[in-house]
Amino acid sequence: MAGIYIHVPFCASKCSYCDFASFPKEFGKQEAYFACLYKEMRSRFAEYKDKTYETVYFGGGTPSFADPKFILGAMRLIRECVKLSDSAEITLEVNPGTIDRNKLRIYKQAGITRFSIGLQSSDDKLLKKIGRIHDREDFVKACDILKGYNLSADVMIGLFDQTKESVKDTIDCAINGGVKHISVYALTPEVGTPIYTDYLNGELPDSDEVADMYEYVVKYLDGLGFKRYEVSNFAIPGFESRHNLNYWRRGEYIGFGVGASSFMNGRRFTNVFTIDEYVHFLLNGKYAEASSDVIEGEDAKFEFVMLALRTSVGADVNKYRSAFGSDFFTDFADALKSQKAYLDISADSVKIKDEYLYVQNNIIVAFMK
Amino acid sequence: MAETTKKNIRNFCIIAHIDHGKSTLADRLIEMTGQVSERDMDDRLLDSMDLEKERGITIKLTPVRMFYTASDGEEYIFNLIDTPGHVDFSYEVSRSLAACEGAILVVDATQGVQAQTLANVYLALENDLEILPVINKIDLASADPDGTKAEIEDAIGLDCSAAPLISAKAGINIKEVLEKIVTMLPPPKCADEAPLKALIFDSYYDNFKGVICFVRIKEGSVKVGDRIKTFMSDKQFDVTEVGVFSPGLTPKSSLSSGEVGYIAASIKSVQDTAVGDTITLVDNPASEPLPGYKQALPVVFSGVYPLDGSKFNDLKEAILKLKLNDASLTYEAENSMALGFGFRCGFLGLLHMEIIQQRIEREFDIEIITTAPSVSYKVHLTSGEVIDVENPSRLPEPSLIDYMEEPIILANIYSPPDYVGPIMELCQEKRGIFLDMTYVDSKRVRLQYKLPLNEIIFDFFDGLKSRTRGYASFDYELSGYEKSDLVKLDMYLNGDICDALAIIVHKEKAYARGRAIAEKLKEVIPRQMFEIPIQAAVGGKIIARETVKALRKDVLAKCYGGDITRKKKLLEKQKEGKKKMRRLGTVEIPSEAFMSILKIDSE
Repeated sequence: MAGIYIHVPFCASKCSYCDFASFPKEFGKQEAYFACLYKEMRSRFAEYKDKTYETVYFGGGTPSFADPKFILGAMRLIRECVKLSDSAEITLEVNPGTIDRNKLRIYKQAGITRFSIGLQSSDDKLLKKIGRIHDREDFVKACDILKGYNLSADVMIGLFDQTKESVKDTIDCAINGGVKHISVYALTPEVGTPIYTDYLNGELPDSDEVADMYEYVVKYLDGLGFKRYEVSNFAIPGFESRHNLNYWRRGEYIGFGVGASSFMNGRRFTNVFTIDEYVHFLLNGKYAEASSDVIEGEDAKFEFVMLALRTSVGADVNKYRSAFGSDFFTDFADALKSQKAYLDISADSVKIKDEYLYVQNNIIVAFMK
Repeated sequence: MAETTKKNIRNFCIIAHIDHGKSTLADRLIEMTGQVSERDMDDRLLDSMDLEKERGITIKLTPVRMFYTASDGEEYIFNLIDTPGHVDFSYEVSRSLAACEGAILVVDATQGVQAQTLANVYLALENDLEILPVINKIDLASADPDGTKAEIEDAIGLDCSAAPLISAKAGINIKEVLEKIVTMLPPPKCADEAPLKALIFDSYYDNFKGVICFVRIKEGSVKVGDRIKTFMSDKQFDVTEVGVFSPGLTPKSSLSSGEVGYIAASIKSVQDTAVGDTITLVDNPASEPLPGYKQALPVVFSGVYPLDGSKFNDLKEAILKLKLNDASLTYEAENSMALGFGFRCGFLGLLHMEIIQQRIEREFDIEIITTAPSVSYKVHLTSGEVIDVENPSRLPEPSLIDYMEEPIILANIYSPPDYVGPIMELCQEKRGIFLDMTYVDSKRVRLQYKLPLNEIIFDFFDGLKSRTRGYASFDYELSGYEKSDLVKLDMYLNGDICDALAIIVHKEKAYARGRAIAEKLKEVIPRQMFEIPIQAAVGGKIIARETVKALRKDVLAKCYGGDITRKKKLLEKQKEGKKKMRRLGTVEIPSEAFMSILKIDSE
């Protein structure tokens, strides 16, 4: 199976922590952008038309901020060019402040099955502080509009003066809205973002406080039937994100648009990061790849481990053997030995013990040759 | 070129405190005599250039031969012999001075007499040199030429009435300096017919010619084909080349008394041509060497280990090569439980140590771990035996020790009077004993203290600079050994003793030092998967304890649009970081941790 990722780089405004491909001031380039995106899709799909696609993910930026007809157009194009499974999971990221019933009507036409709502927090003061355009009320309304769909919510931890109570309220708010899947991300202060200054000024919780919050969230969600299936992702069983699971299983996916990454036929490539460059390449009949790496040998094996160990089921030893034709326990004998205190090792799988999932980098680098 | 008689030779050096303009004046003299437009340095000197530039100090320069036609119409040969600009190399300075008849003393008119000014002047006077004072930087607004003159007269007793007032940087009054060299500095005394006595004042190893000895011929002469020997080594060599510095190596048929030049004789190691030694002829030897030879003894010792244990042989090669050019560097292989195989190296001082360490890393591209420097202690055992201990972890059991002695220095500290309080406080903290305080003038005080050397290597310079806002200058000489109440401070990481972190301290200081080191290690050791107790102990008794908490969050955020490559790169970076760490048992320690224990804020 393969996934499709489509990047929509437009937002009403930029959040203070954002260092992704999002360009609030370039909304006027929407038409040109989607024209190029469609062009890219046509060419790439001609290359990779023999695959069956199981998931589509519209990420951003704010996909719900763009004119929905472009989403519809993209879906039509996909269905025309390639085989999209009937049971495909088709996700659209939504900012609670940018959704209405008219848009939903078109999304429905497009065949969207799942909405991932950027709630981040239910605390209006915090939302304002990190530059979100919506408030708690908008989220409640959005959930009402999207009722009946498969809903997910993004929640942030590690925000200014955030308390466990505040995180609990955010989770309650999401669950009351009918959400069956929650992603919990700790704020990462990236150099160059406005929030980085606050980070330098010590206004953000330290890593111990974030770890406390995270542990609290894991426990609280577990009590509500949300199982952690990946370090940052929690779901009522059966509601896991298939699109994301495909990343962690090292499945193939094709990404379109600014900054989008792909992994097809053993090659990883990522597009350029600005709209102008992207448009320029496509209009000149070229792909807009900024980087391209063929992943093979040890690299491929390491990727398998690095991705699989993020999940709670861990690395499937049998899948490893069928993918690489070698034995997992032999290939990683040293790392398995040095890290054994932190791993659950069985005949069929190797996973990071629950209590160490949040310090996984330290464990994973031991597997790097 | 007309034959120049020896009364027309001037051999001199330039002495100054750091930054007072020694190198700039040398450049001007060379320019004015038209010898070369810029200082032409050979490869050996370029090697140390980065370090020199970074620190604003001159480590070593090649001698330069200049021709100058003076106002008396005669042509003179000037041999300028440069001197290293740091206390670590004071013995080398003294030998360079011994090769001269005169010295130009450069004093910065904005700063006056400083510690090194004095130290170098005393060295020059010991070597009976004629001193020509020169007041530099007179073009600066804060310059006080008259005050500086008065200060030199007071502090040193030199007549400054005729001292040239110059700006080496701006090229003011350089001509006057050249004339004064002719009129004030004496020509060399000559004895061409006597048996050869050539003073080695420097040497370096050349891959093709072998060791190049920089010499001042005091008596006799030497030519290609002569069989030579030195007084300190029993080896004999055939001279393959002699010559002068103009400024590159320029061969000549012979060198005779009064001249400065070089001798090459296919000598394999600088050990055989120690600085200060005397070269003579095998056939017609001098009866005794020139006075003043001292074996340069290392005073600071540190363990040097390859970060990657498999690089031990590369490190050995590197040290051997450096040793070829540096007779004062000593080494012996040692084995540490924590760090594996490495070397205990001996250095002339902290700067020398730093230079060698950086050269190993830069020129030989070997990453190393160096342990905190130590001095050499004399340990008197109950058996009556006396041993030298340079590696704290090799200190015998307390029950076997009768008593210990530690090296002591005499320190001269120059400072504006405002900072006397803070300096005394610092010296007090460093177990110093007050000897004397004198006013050099109304703006400068000289404090003399007796201090244990092991306190000097422990953060003394930084402490002095920060307490006096950089105004104080400092110089010292070793004065011997004194009995002292010393103990070994052990450090434990995660319950295991770490021999590479052990230090020897005065008993009174053990508690504070132990606590400070534990705190410092807590700062530099990154959090790991488990809690790491850090303990300081004396004689098995824990005196301080800190804990590095277990790591609780180490995870990469969301992969937007599935950018796995970026994630992988971040992990690769983390892996690279780990490679810079040394594994001690289960604990990973950054290589700089071993030195960082030196940089502890005094309380």
